[in-house]
Amino acid sequence: MKQLPKEFYAAMEELQAVDFVLVDLTLYLDTHPEDYDAINQFNQFAKERRRLKKVVESMYGPLQQFGNSYSGYPWNWDDGPWPWQI
Amino acid sequence: MSTHRRVWYPYASPFDPCPPIKAKTYSTPPNLFLGFQPPNLEQFTPMQALRTGTLWKVFYDPWYSPYEAPREDDHS
Repeated sequence: MKQLPKEFYAAMEELQAVDFVLVDLTLYLDTHPEDYDAINQFNQFAKERRRLKKVVESMYGPLQQFGNSYSGYPWNWDDGPWPWQI
Repeated sequence: MSTHRRVWYPYASPFDPCPPIKAKTYSTPPNLFLGFQPPNLEQFTPMQALRTGTLWKVFYDPWYSPYEAPREDDHS
């Protein structure tokens, strides 16, 4: 079973942190639609997340399905380790 | 961060099997006192936010029990 490289875990944790910030900002912006700075911050983090996703997926494989992630060859979205196994 | 701890005094019946607990306390979360969230509140770094469970410092409430010394090691 392929073992994940060490730097995968740091990158994954950072991706989780950015995801959390995006979730919190989304909830905040639902009630504060005019908050310009928060929207700027949201867009910065969205951009940052795209970069981080490439980094994580280069080591792990596709994170999401249905076109949200590129697939490797052969079709590998169902390869281990699964999210609860990493 | 100061969780406003409130106290209430449960009724102790003379037929209670165990010694009565005279005062019980509970901590009230900060969002009760904030109402509509003002913009541009001070924020945690993403990594800290992941640990504390909130992005804004003012909402951070580790909800320590009264018997547990508030560990100030990790965050404000």
